[in-house]
Amino acid sequence: MRDRAEIRTSERSEDFRGMLARMEREGHLRRVTKRISPRHITALCAQAPAAVLCQAVEDYDIPVVGGLYWTRARLASALGWPESELGSRFARAAARPHAPVIVAEAPCQEVVLTGNDVDLTALPIPFMHEKDGGPYISAGVAFANDSELGPNAGCYRLMFRTRREMAIDLFTASDLRRYYTKTYERNQSLPVTIAVGVHAFEHMAAAYKAPAGVDEMEIAGGLRGGPTRLVRAKTADIMVPADAEIVLEGELLPNGWTADEGPFGEFAGMQGDLKRNPLFRVSAITHRRDPIFYALQMPWENDWLNGPATEAACSRVLGLAGIQVAAVRATEGGCCGWSVVASIKKRAGEGRNALAALLSLPVVKQAIVTDDDIDIHNPNEIEWAITFRCQADKDIIILSGMKGKHVDPSVRPWDLKPGELPTTSKFGIDATIPEGIPSFRYERIVPAFRDEVRVEDYL
Amino acid sequence: MTDGKHADPALVLRIEECLREPVYFRDILDATRDQKYRAILLAWSDIRSRHVLERDEYGRYWRAEP
Repeated sequence: MRDRAEIRTSERSEDFRGMLARMEREGHLRRVTKRISPRHITALCAQAPAAVLCQAVEDYDIPVVGGLYWTRARLASALGWPESELGSRFARAAARPHAPVIVAEAPCQEVVLTGNDVDLTALPIPFMHEKDGGPYISAGVAFANDSELGPNAGCYRLMFRTRREMAIDLFTASDLRRYYTKTYERNQSLPVTIAVGVHAFEHMAAAYKAPAGVDEMEIAGGLRGGPTRLVRAKTADIMVPADAEIVLEGELLPNGWTADEGPFGEFAGMQGDLKRNPLFRVSAITHRRDPIFYALQMPWENDWLNGPATEAACSRVLGLAGIQVAAVRATEGGCCGWSVVASIKKRAGEGRNALAALLSLPVVKQAIVTDDDIDIHNPNEIEWAITFRCQADKDIIILSGMKGKHVDPSVRPWDLKPGELPTTSKFGIDATIPEGIPSFRYERIVPAFRDEVRVEDYL
Repeated sequence: MTDGKHADPALVLRIEECLREPVYFRDILDATRDQKYRAILLAWSDIRSRHVLERDEYGRYWRAEP
């Protein structure tokens, strides 16, 4: 077994395929050697017990991998972190950003295609969901520069349109939308690069809504514990991850929000709407000699990439409220952000204080708070606490008129006027032991002589 | 047949025929199961380069008569 120092050293320099190899060793990735059509990859990923690396994709000599972060366990494996520490490790890493290092030569540029050789149909871009508007690049990490705002990285979906054009979803507020709006208003294009197949550290950092002026690749360095390797794109003054599998270089055209894009199976688990969005025109494709195409699978892979940041935010607001946190978990059913559970070392009144703090986070719509004797990674324990420590008329709080999100059909976004923002109600369940009830009333049963019996001695 | 760089004209015509009525992209893949995936994307690229396709509120495509 390797010691901790060795593990940390390898984490610092690990690339996407190094991550895949480790996930395979840990049983979280399986190779598929049977031929498969790009139209069947998502259906396979949705049913497979592990992430899959499809090595024989019909019509293509590029393998496709998908389902990497479909569960908390797979994300933990990808990051090389313990499952229970995703949020706390993210918080520590984000607080210690590490500047990237610029390299002159990079694996992602072993093959450079420009001019008439640029052809998106040469990539195995899969068709993913029944009512999608076309094949999608779902794992694209977009990089752009702004003279005032600096470099930016973010996650955006792109719908195949022609050999050199894709429609990109810039519908909701984002840094890239801000950058694009500036060039659009001058009727100019915005140079952009799209990296496909980057390590979970870089992908998670790009998905993180970093404060303005913070370079997401510095956050990636914090997560990695060492610098992310970047290289200058071949046709644009933009730095891209040197160890990416594939990079598309091009520009967002100043067509504004006019090109049809979508529907696409979205992060909340529902088929989204048809939208009007900008076009991305590709001027160069660079890739490794033997690239792997990454098809991120909706919704859970997208959701889990945000889970650690949500847990970190929960811990932060609870800390600001002076509450001692034992554990925080963003739950899968709530898309790893809308629903959270926290266990705390409670003092009188802090169950409700904790709920108020958690529900103040924009994304959190429902929250449960338990005492620290509850294992919040076990749904049965949470249900037990709610059942026996909660009186519905006293311990459930409902807040109305809070900031909501368009993606939630229950806020009836279609009834809103253009530009109007939705509001939502939120609820919290205080499942801590009520004040005034002595803790011995909740004494748990313990099997007699538990320490003297080992299952493996009998089964 | 496609040479891998250009769309197969016969396949383009087949897809254009599909687009006489509103169809999802999945319907186009269904109607061309005998074709290679990349050939379908090349044909789709050709169609989208030459025509403005209409979309309905469900996201279905169709081609307005010229």
